Amino acid sequence: MAKRVREEEIFPRNPNKTYGLMELVKGSSPRVDRGPEDMVSAWPHLLIREALLFAATFLVILALSVWCVPPLEKQADATKPPNPAKAPWYFLGLQELVSYDAFWGGLGIPGLVIVGLMAIPYLDRHHSGIGRWFARSRTTAVTLFTVLFVIPTIVLIILGTYFRGPNWGFYPPWGMPVEPQ
Amino acid sequence: MSVQTTEPKAGPPDPKPGIGAWGKLSRAIYRQAPEVFDNLRQLPYNLYKSIYRTTAFPKTERERSEAFFNSFLLHIQPAKIEKHALRFNYTFGLGLISFYLFLLLTVSGILLMFFYVPSVEQAYNRMLDLRSSVSYGMILRGMHFWSANCMIGAVFFHMCRVFYTGAYKPPREFNWVIGVLLFVLTLVLGFTGYLLPWDQLAFWAITVGANIAGKADYVSDHLAMIPGVPNMHMGVMMKNALLGGDTVGQEALIRFYVLHVALLPSILFFLIVIHFWRIRKDGGISSPKESPE
Repeated sequence: MAKRVREEEIFPRNPNKTYGLMELVKGSSPRVDRGPEDMVSAWPHLLIREALLFAATFLVILALSVWCVPPLEKQADATKPPNPAKAPWYFLGLQELVSYDAFWGGLGIPGLVIVGLMAIPYLDRHHSGIGRWFARSRTTAVTLFTVLFVIPTIVLIILGTYFRGPNWGFYPPWGMPVEPQ
Repeated sequence: MSVQTTEPKAGPPDPKPGIGAWGKLSRAIYRQAPEVFDNLRQLPYNLYKSIYRTTAFPKTERERSEAFFNSFLLHIQPAKIEKHALRFNYTFGLGLISFYLFLLLTVSGILLMFFYVPSVEQAYNRMLDLRSSVSYGMILRGMHFWSANCMIGAVFFHMCRVFYTGAYKPPREFNWVIGVLLFVLTLVLGFTGYLLPWDQLAFWAITVGANIAGKADYVSDHLAMIPGVPNMHMGVMMKNALLGGDTVGQEALIRFYVLHVALLPSILFFLIVIHFWRIRKDGGISSPKESPE
């Protein structure tokens, strides 16, 4: 057992000094060896980037809304179901899963995915590869996330959007049967 | 900048005092309160100083820091930032783009609310009005439509960025959880907004979506196999709660409308605020200095 270190032993009080020891803190500071040369003023370096990013975002959205007019079909009619009736594009992956199994596709798997996503930082706590894209020490985590989440999400949405026709049958986009109006 | 004060001189302030009523008035003011004329001269500066707690064009490092922590909108951000955090190809600005799109959605959404009526009889005609009789109506709807679709993409890719850079690791675990909630909320907001145009696309998409919620019956059906457990029909319950009936109709429209314009945006904004606050408390955005390779 180490003897408790008294304040005076580390920093003897000296009446000639105008400063003194305030507090002893355990642990290493995250700011250690982070010199001021790596820091810049947020004004103007951060602000100008944020302003430019806003301008770019706004212009892209404005251009899209001028040149790509959002669709508006005929008024809703409960007696005329389209074939196939499709969910919004971001739920077409779900709809694709539902076509295999109603419960597991629509609720079971999505629910597990959300819980799984939230669990990631509590399962993968190893302090390596932070702040780098695709760090080599994290190859396993990166591969699992890509194969289990990113690729299935994107592939299922593309499949449901472009490859599903009447009666949720599989058709290539160039051979999609046209619904008679 | 110091406030200039001048010693009040004797006599009228103007060497050539005005004549008539104006002259009388200004001399009367000067006799009663000689500093009024000085105050008027300093009005622009004092007005600025009363609104902003800092100078508009900070030059020294100290003024630049003060510009951040003396401003309500800027104090959310750090006054000093690591160079690495500014690199575009580290974050691609995806989180900020998501937030900007949320702002655009709020503004365009509030403007759309002036023209929209959540009624089965009127909703679709209001959409036609946007096209024909509302000035810039289609651009307004287009901004809302494209911001919404892009926001879903931006939030998804922001999540991928955070994963691939390991930015969810301690101490940022809980901010990742909030981020997942924000992702789900963004999807739900998109879904509730999808019904509002009340066209064929909207009606049948929501019908399909609500039927997916109805599949939760699977759980209660299996639970009911346990002796003594009643069948709760969870799916039917969820679908009815969402639609206010068996099919998509007026009840569903008003529910989706209230969720879309009031309840969900409020929750989303609250979570965004916590998300931003946690970024600061967890030591700014992630940096390679925090861990070895």
